[in-house]
Amino acid sequence: MTEQGETGEAITILLVEDDAPTCWRLQDALVKAGYEVRSAGTLSEARQALSVGAPRVLLTDLRLPDGHGVELIRETRQRFPETEIMVISALGDEESVISAITVGATGYLLKDAFPTDIATTVRDLVAGHSPISASIARFIVRRTQGAAQNSAEPPPGPALNTAKLTPREIDILWGIAKGFSYAEIASHLGLSKQTVPGHIKNIYRKLEVHTRSEAVFEAVQQGLIKL
Amino acid sequence: MSEIAAKASAKAALKPARRRLLASRLVPYLLLQALIAIVTILGIQLLQPSDPEDYAVSDFSAREDGLTRPVTLPHFTPSRYSLADPPFYTGAFTFRSGDAASGWSVFLPRFSNAVEVAVNGVVVLDSRRDANANRPDRNTPQIAAIPASLLHEGGNEITVRLFVWGPLKGFLDTVYVGPDIALRPAYETRTLLFVTLPVVFSAWQAILAVILAIMWLMRRHEPVYGVLAAAMVLGVVQAFAPPPVPPAAVSRLAAVLLASAPIESALIVVFGVLFFGWRWPRYGTLLFVPGVLVFVVGLIGGPPLPRILFLVLGIPTVGLCLFLMACVTATAVVRRQDAASFTIGCAVTIVLVCWVQDMLTVLEIASNDRIFVSRLSYSAMLVAIGAGLTWRFARALNQVDSFAGQLVTRVREAEERLKASFAREEERARAAALANERTRLMRDLHDGLGGQLVSIVALSERGSAGATITDAARAALKDLRLVIDSMDDIGGDLMLALGSWRERATAQLRPHDIALDWRVATPQGLPLHPELRPWHVIQIVRILDEAVTNAVKHAQARHVAVTIETHDGGLGPYGVISVTDDGSGFALAGNCEAAGAGQTARGLRNMRSRAARCGAVLDLSSDASGTRVRLQLPQRFPDSDMAAG
Repeated sequence: MTEQGETGEAITILLVEDDAPTCWRLQDALVKAGYEVRSAGTLSEARQALSVGAPRVLLTDLRLPDGHGVELIRETRQRFPETEIMVISALGDEESVISAITVGATGYLLKDAFPTDIATTVRDLVAGHSPISASIARFIVRRTQGAAQNSAEPPPGPALNTAKLTPREIDILWGIAKGFSYAEIASHLGLSKQTVPGHIKNIYRKLEVHTRSEAVFEAVQQGLIKL
Repeated sequence: MSEIAAKASAKAALKPARRRLLASRLVPYLLLQALIAIVTILGIQLLQPSDPEDYAVSDFSAREDGLTRPVTLPHFTPSRYSLADPPFYTGAFTFRSGDAASGWSVFLPRFSNAVEVAVNGVVVLDSRRDANANRPDRNTPQIAAIPASLLHEGGNEITVRLFVWGPLKGFLDTVYVGPDIALRPAYETRTLLFVTLPVVFSAWQAILAVILAIMWLMRRHEPVYGVLAAAMVLGVVQAFAPPPVPPAAVSRLAAVLLASAPIESALIVVFGVLFFGWRWPRYGTLLFVPGVLVFVVGLIGGPPLPRILFLVLGIPTVGLCLFLMACVTATAVVRRQDAASFTIGCAVTIVLVCWVQDMLTVLEIASNDRIFVSRLSYSAMLVAIGAGLTWRFARALNQVDSFAGQLVTRVREAEERLKASFAREEERARAAALANERTRLMRDLHDGLGGQLVSIVALSERGSAGATITDAARAALKDLRLVIDSMDDIGGDLMLALGSWRERATAQLRPHDIALDWRVATPQGLPLHPELRPWHVIQIVRILDEAVTNAVKHAQARHVAVTIETHDGGLGPYGVISVTDDGSGFALAGNCEAAGAGQTARGLRNMRSRAARCGAVLDLSSDASGTRVRLQLPQRFPDSDMAAG
């Protein structure tokens, strides 16, 4: 069985992971699910692979021997906007995941996830469903609360601009953080179940700081910098 | 023993020291008072106004009780209590018309108690109509112009009728007859000294009385001001109320006025005692007895009696009071060595000296033309008292200022100390919280991760099957996630922790093909618990983990359902989390036949102890159709670990 995109071609995945056993494990799971996987162990190898052509999906670890995965994510996001990006994390901790999200990642994959879950996650991602975990959702909504309460003291953790999120999106994040399913959230909020993934995708987009100049613009908008 | 001896010797050593201090303070003070006394006496001598001796008429013939004899003025006549047939003095003077340009006058510098002067048989002056002139305690002079028509060139006759009312002896100083221009300056000098000045002082006294009365009204707890105000009021009344001439019927008023001096002086002593901060002795009230006695006798008895009583009781009382006052101030000077006691002490000495001088005059031991100076010197004391009070008032203001300053400083110091201690306390609390957190983290890692890693090591060494090691490693990883997850601030919303747990449990159950049925009764989920701490969360999540693990491992369940409800038993809402599976169940007690029974029993014990530490109630029921774990959360999570260890 081969996973195929809309064009009928096999879906290509670039897997960037420096730990060999983890890399094998993920590669096995993805290849078994029918994806075409190229793997890279360092940042430079990954850049080399990107120069050949854009993958459909980029899976990258953050801590690489010759650099940080965040740089790779940012570059990929700018050069290939169509590419779906996921970060590979050992624990799924907010620190790494949120910093990846702000440069353009739209989800994360746990290193110890079961093979079927790995394949499912990537398939959902390609289908346009950005997965979001309860702990990430919790981090984001706690941050929106913190911004409302006291803006003087910056909260710990990576910088995150939640100003663009709508109340509805924040409600959805609350539901996810509390462990409700999409269906339950949709019924609580009076939405159709199908629209929830779209909202989540929007949330990712809004949390992303696209460029350096945009970051400056954001800062001016929020009054962090005075011109 | 030696201690007592040492104490005794210390006391003995103290006594001479105190005596030395007393001597070193009292002797200079007494010397100063002696100096003041000498200065006062000299001052009184200098005060004697000089009279125009060129116009003195001293040689008179006096007719007393039908007896006529020649006398030289100044002259004393015996005391008497009747105005009828007064001593009658007849003298002569020579008038030269060449001096008539300014007109002639007759000038009487001092007399007691009243005079009627006639020139050539025509009355030119009757002092009985001037109330102040009749007072024996004032040295009021009199002057009268002699109509030119009465005067003859050459010899003229002058007659003086001296009215005397006891108990004092009558007195007539030298009479001066001459040109008004020559006599008037002497008269003016005496008027200034003995009439105007006392009025000025009495006015000063009246003002002081008002000020003191106000002070006392505002500060009732300081009777010293009230006492002094009363003394001043008495003094003012005495000074301004005109004493009646004896034939007048208002003898009661005379008695009141007579009684005023002894009462006033007793009040001054009370003031002195209170002013220097001592208690007024109970027997001190006896000091008022003479004054009251004079007053009572004056109300009841006829005119002469109160006067006699005043002379024998009142005047000595005044002297006694002055002496007591001198003692009081001397003691105060020795003890306090301050400006107020010095000033008042000197003033008292002056008054005392003047009183002695007056006594000598009355007793005719000293001759100074019968000029009484007590009243006048009393004003010196008033000035001193005024100064003393002002000094004290200023000092009190300074004290208030410095007290306020001290208060500000102290408050600032206390504030800083408080701040410091608060910072210390905060630091300590933070350190304690950190230590608690570290301890908890270590225990959590030890309880979960440590044990699981050890079992992984053991399994790998035995060359055990890969699946078992994988399970153990997964469990270790799960526990690590739990510990990290519990670090996050969830703001008291347990649902946020359960949300993450649901993901982990789902992932755990999926390989076993077990569906996790997640039912939340209300959109809100569970009540908020602001007191919820990470270690509570860990315990609760571990209980739930244990329940799920049991369902998978030992009960071979196909479905696991988690139900989250909120109940309200009337005492506030509380949450209930139930984990139900459709597995084979297990025996709760006794029966240990099953292979995993021992492990299960340990797991159950763990769950109970974890629930107890969070103040939660764990309820287990199991039968062949499944197992149900019901965890009833407390309304309030305990602050400290209830079953730590």
